[in-house]
Amino acid sequence: MTTTDVTEVVTQGTTATQAAKARAKVPWRFLGQRAAFYLFTLWAALTINFFVPRMMKGDAVDNYLARNREISPEAADALRALLGLDSDKSMWEQYVDYFGMLLRGDLGVSITHGLQPVSGVIATALPWTVGLIGLATLAAVVIGTVGGAFVGWKRGSRLDVLIPITTFLSTVPYFWIGLMAISVFSVGLGWLPIGKAYGVGQEPGFNLEFILNVIEHGTLPLATIVIASLGGWMLGMRNMMLTVLDEDYITVAQAKGMPNRRVLWRYAARNAVLPQIQSFALSIGFIVGGAIIVEQVFSYPGVGKMLLDATNAKDYALMQGGFLVIVLAVLVANIVADLVYAVLDPRTRQSEA
Amino acid sequence: MKSPMKTAAALAAAAALLLAGCSGGSGNGGATGGTNTGGSSTGGTGKGTVALTIAKPDGAITTESHNPYLGDTSASMYGYRQVMFETMALVNTADNSVVTPRLASSVEWNDDYTELTVTAREGVTWHDGKPFTIDDIVGTFDMYLDGRLTDSAALNYLGADVDGSTATLKFKDSKFVKRGSVLHVPIVPKHIWDNIDDPSTAPLTGEGEAIGTGPYTLSSWTTQAVTLKANPDWWGGELAVPELHYVSYGDNAALTTALATGDADWAQAFLPQIQKSFLEVDDANRQLITPTAGAATLFLNLTRKPFDNPALREALAWTIDRSAYVDIAREGASAVVDSVTGLGPSLQKDVIDEFAGQVYTVDIEKAKTILTDAGYTGVGTALVDPDGEKVTFSVSVPAGWSDWNTEQALLAEELKQLGIEVTIDQPDWGGWDEARQQATFGAIIHWLDGEGAWGVYDSIMGTRWIDKDKNTAQFNFGRYDNPAVDEALAAYATADSDEARLAAMTTIQKAFVKDIPAIPLGAHPLIGLFNERSYTGWPTEDNMYASADPTQAEITMVLQNLKPVS
Repeated sequence: MTTTDVTEVVTQGTTATQAAKARAKVPWRFLGQRAAFYLFTLWAALTINFFVPRMMKGDAVDNYLARNREISPEAADALRALLGLDSDKSMWEQYVDYFGMLLRGDLGVSITHGLQPVSGVIATALPWTVGLIGLATLAAVVIGTVGGAFVGWKRGSRLDVLIPITTFLSTVPYFWIGLMAISVFSVGLGWLPIGKAYGVGQEPGFNLEFILNVIEHGTLPLATIVIASLGGWMLGMRNMMLTVLDEDYITVAQAKGMPNRRVLWRYAARNAVLPQIQSFALSIGFIVGGAIIVEQVFSYPGVGKMLLDATNAKDYALMQGGFLVIVLAVLVANIVADLVYAVLDPRTRQSEA
Repeated sequence: MKSPMKTAAALAAAAALLLAGCSGGSGNGGATGGTNTGGSSTGGTGKGTVALTIAKPDGAITTESHNPYLGDTSASMYGYRQVMFETMALVNTADNSVVTPRLASSVEWNDDYTELTVTAREGVTWHDGKPFTIDDIVGTFDMYLDGRLTDSAALNYLGADVDGSTATLKFKDSKFVKRGSVLHVPIVPKHIWDNIDDPSTAPLTGEGEAIGTGPYTLSSWTTQAVTLKANPDWWGGELAVPELHYVSYGDNAALTTALATGDADWAQAFLPQIQKSFLEVDDANRQLITPTAGAATLFLNLTRKPFDNPALREALAWTIDRSAYVDIAREGASAVVDSVTGLGPSLQKDVIDEFAGQVYTVDIEKAKTILTDAGYTGVGTALVDPDGEKVTFSVSVPAGWSDWNTEQALLAEELKQLGIEVTIDQPDWGGWDEARQQATFGAIIHWLDGEGAWGVYDSIMGTRWIDKDKNTAQFNFGRYDNPAVDEALAAYATADSDEARLAAMTTIQKAFVKDIPAIPLGAHPLIGLFNERSYTGWPTEDNMYASADPTQAEITMVLQNLKPVS
């Protein structure tokens, strides 16, 4: 969005002078309040992140013993020492250590991944999740919003049938869509591979062959996620469009003889899209959480299944590391949503002026 | 703005925690009977050109670590450590008296199993070209001595005497019940491991660190697949399969699809309806089931009603239909364990003479008589114990372990005949795990642990599994507590003669038959799913020189034996 666009919106608004004034100087008080609030939320989230795993029943070594049956129970103490669970530090000392480690960027070692550093474990899974779920979310938002705007604009036409269809697809359990897609396109037609991020024998690298391979493997999971999540975006946009289309300024714009295309995109869709942007910003935060079922059905690497396994195995370090990433992502997404909204909708800034 | 944001953060935490709620987990092994064609082959002659893909259903394995001593490394989860690192000898899974020397050309125990004399095989080289010697075996064990390597199997190694190419490894106590654990220690090169700071956790990802003597050498590692190439200098001869790929699919369903389409060649997973989903898809598809000493066992909680009364346990033993477990719940992939001693088909030689041939059958009348004699009322309608309380209990198995979930329903149906109301409980893994450790369940179905007959009795009756301070148990979930049995278990494990072992085994078996602390149902099998499209020479039911489970150490014997289809 360009500056002239903003000015245009602003000058057309009823509170033009105030808004323009607020925009001229940096709203320090507003930003300070936000910053303080986010810092507090971060602290609270990190504290919950520390205590919740410790309230779970059972212990990592018991779980390790259950998974690795060659290990003698007499060796449990040696294992506890190996895994750093033998310390008799108080909860408070552990809590202080935890924040110290976080500040140093040291997230500990993961018991379920051969005692490798948690940061490395997450780093191997996160790009795939962000790539797949991120692209899929982006695609669903764009297609859903544009489609919803059209369907809303042409209300009462045959296009309306898209709404129940996409809504139906989003209520069908995802694993079913995934399995059907595999059975039709991979097993039946043989067009696409049955899963995994890239093929056996491929060496990751920046070359055309590898990139094409990744795209080939990602197509089916991506397409199914988009199909399954399109409904919400389309329905939301279409409903907002219906509300906005009843506004007086739309009638005025049309009465002035403005081209329909301009009314649709510059006047109606532009106002209707605000809640969509808000939802999109929030969904960015959840992208890093991964999608367990996608990862399971398509054998795709990612954060979701990794966190599920970590939770089942009581791998505290990995759980904390993973949840930390999610918390940070949600907070950052919220900050972005706050700022974008403040820019797009001057009313949110007004109370501060 | 404030509230949606707060909600979002809270939701993220909640969503993450909810992950704990859904637990995967597949049962273990099994399907319909083998359809293997007979015929065996000897030695790998000729080289094939097709790589074999070995698959697991464990989700993406994304962290590289080739450490063979740690349970959850990529090398252990995929199982490729078995073809990279070799052991002194291989113990046959189905019959632990069959020992095949590997890196040691001979292995010999002394009478009380506290000393093992091994001779290093000649002509073996490490993957980096350096010769393998007896110092490598001793060097591997010496890492336990100074604590650089965590002694997770409690081997209590004391040191070794070296004489030429022979060494005598000495242990603090008898290793009779841990012969397999000692012989299966992966042997690693001393010239590399001397420089590794922490052998217990080292990932071996540095240049030239992932070095073994095995038939395959590490070629490439990515988060999606691991590739190993045949070692041309392997002491065991020429290998037919030039390349192995290890991959992991998201779950059993994805693995089934991969096996059916031929994307994967070899796996060890339990697939329901194997006939339809795998064997009938291609004429060359095979399944081989190898029974082991362990058995799926109904553990009864002896610490509380109703199973604190031995008469009820005996009545159950005469009521439960073990063949229904094998035929219906396991679709034929198991073997009935009906000996009164609780020992399965592969352990019949351990049954003492007194109990030879004594088996439990389904005999409802006998069960009813036992209950009536013990003072129970309402037998066959609504059972009431001698104290006047209604007899009811729950059988607990994690949701999704389909074979054992079926058995739960069978048990509930069967025990109605005695007038017992059985409730079926299918918690997630976490809830089940907690209940079994803290003995808060009624009855659970569980596997057994350890080597041979001793392992069966130790995991059902040994109190060494119970941590009294924390009130948790790693086995013996029913909390059987009999000092005489504990003593006999220890005596058997440390005995220095066959007579002493027989005496201890007699005490144990008599206690088991009298007290019925748990009810074994069917033998636990190792399963191998593979195909004969490119290679033959796989183990068969008639020639089971190894199990066909690719995650077992015996995989090197299978690979040695394969030859290309002409």
